[in-house]
Amino acid sequence: MVAIDLTNVTKTYGDVTALQSVDLTVEDGEVFGFLGPNGAGKSTTIDILLDHARPTAGHAQVLGMDAQDETVAVRERTGVLPERFGPLGEMTGRQHVEFTVEAKDADDDPDRIVERVGIDHAADRPASGYSKGMTQRLMLGMALVGQPDLLILDEPTTGLDPNGARQMREIVRAEADRGATVFFSSHILQQVEAVCDRVGILDYGNLVAVDSIDGLREAAGTTGEMTVTLDGVPDGLADEIEAIDGVTSTRVDGNAIVAGCENPAKAAVVEACRQAGATVENIETSEASLEDLFAAYTGGA
Amino acid sequence: MSTLAVAKKDFQDALRSKALWGLSIIFILLSLLIAYAFTEFTAMMEVEEQTAQGLAYFLASQIGLFVSITAIVIAYKAIAGERESGSIKILLSLPHTRRDVLLGKVLGRSATLAVPTLIGLVAGAALGSVLMGEFAIVSLSALLVMSLVFVVTYISIMVGISALTGSTSRASMLTIGFFLVFEILWGVVSIGIVWLTNGLSLPTEFPNWVYLVNQVPPSAAFTTGLTALMPGDIAGVGTPEFEAFYATPWVGVIMLAFWLVVPLAIGYRQFSKADL
Repeated sequence: MVAIDLTNVTKTYGDVTALQSVDLTVEDGEVFGFLGPNGAGKSTTIDILLDHARPTAGHAQVLGMDAQDETVAVRERTGVLPERFGPLGEMTGRQHVEFTVEAKDADDDPDRIVERVGIDHAADRPASGYSKGMTQRLMLGMALVGQPDLLILDEPTTGLDPNGARQMREIVRAEADRGATVFFSSHILQQVEAVCDRVGILDYGNLVAVDSIDGLREAAGTTGEMTVTLDGVPDGLADEIEAIDGVTSTRVDGNAIVAGCENPAKAAVVEACRQAGATVENIETSEASLEDLFAAYTGGA
Repeated sequence: MSTLAVAKKDFQDALRSKALWGLSIIFILLSLLIAYAFTEFTAMMEVEEQTAQGLAYFLASQIGLFVSITAIVIAYKAIAGERESGSIKILLSLPHTRRDVLLGKVLGRSATLAVPTLIGLVAGAALGSVLMGEFAIVSLSALLVMSLVFVVTYISIMVGISALTGSTSRASMLTIGFFLVFEILWGVVSIGIVWLTNGLSLPTEFPNWVYLVNQVPPSAAFTTGLTALMPGDIAGVGTPEFEAFYATPWVGVIMLAFWLVVPLAIGYRQFSKADL
């Protein structure tokens, strides 16, 4: 089954194109990371899935139902952590959860929910006095009510401290193990890398890539870096190394030579250093960071 | 079901924000003052028929302004404010329809205004009845029922207007504009209509249909409609002295029904197709 299916979805606000012919399929049970810089159209996409906005063209299906025509049925089986939501009402945290349990006709125990998201100590205080992080936890708790088939989390780690972000990831994994599909939007790459099976990258309303993180790395052809520390860098070595097939860049950093290169070229780089008469003291390699990957796709620097 | 859930949350928020208690105190004081003033003045002016029925009508004519202003204050942001802040996305991520949210807001905010209004009226009616030594249960019940309808109607108008826009500043301009045109300036508008239809001059005698035009403001429709429900005649408030099918105080009730339904329907139409 397919959890989310966007077909040729375009959304314009006046002259501004928020989404441009987006086609996207998220399989049932998948944890899907939806990446993009702020303003790329992530929230607009989620608005369309929840019928908070209507597509200018194209068609959106959620859990096999039409997102615009079967809105209530979609929301009955979807848990949502919206972004940019306003201040909460005067109800306490627990009452917010109870309100959600009632709205979804679920049988969750509100105490279990507030405990699971770590706000049990504040459950009886008005939510209007919660900090950003606590509000985010409460919203996650409300999203979990009713064991939804689909979780839509829009920038869920906003305002969370590292510990909170870790707990968020654990909950996402647990929900995925339960069989839920998770649609997780973020502009923070590490958050997505840690939990997601597949990633889609959105840039200026265009879906520029959809793949696993490994797949993206390969497809983008972004190279890693290799730092070889020597007893001294012989003259001309940098040029020699740059001439090696698969090396894209070199620079000298004190006694070290830093080469941007693909994996198969690494042995040749070390060999070239030896041939030049230098003693290799240390070798460090690093994979292309997600930032590099992201920049490669979104055209940013 | 969903509508009631939204209404309940809305009302609970009002309960907690203490606005309800402040309003209740103001309405009770106001209503007691009106009742006291009525009995004092009618006694002073030596009005012979100092009736509880007259008191009910007098209370109604005096609270109209306060109900309408309070309705604006508590309802103009009902939809626009939640859209501007984004709170509405929380409600509409749950299995509620936009209609549930709209009707729930009307019910919740109506309750917020109805509770203080009715408590105040009961207090005023009780004081007046004690002072005059007369208790007119039918007239006072009519007052309570009609006031409840009036409260729901005014809230419905304001929520309907609020649903037209996602900006609270625009919502406040629209609701205040409504109040100015239909409550404060309607006398001028009414004369203007006569002036226009009479070939840009004022006639020596106003046509009968001006009676209808004058029932347009919701608070006028409220007091007129109230006389339809009350038994007998009220001193100084007669039914129109001309013959026409519309020469009946029931026009007020019909006009209130119009205000109850039409602005909300227009607001719903806009809101149901809006991007949040």
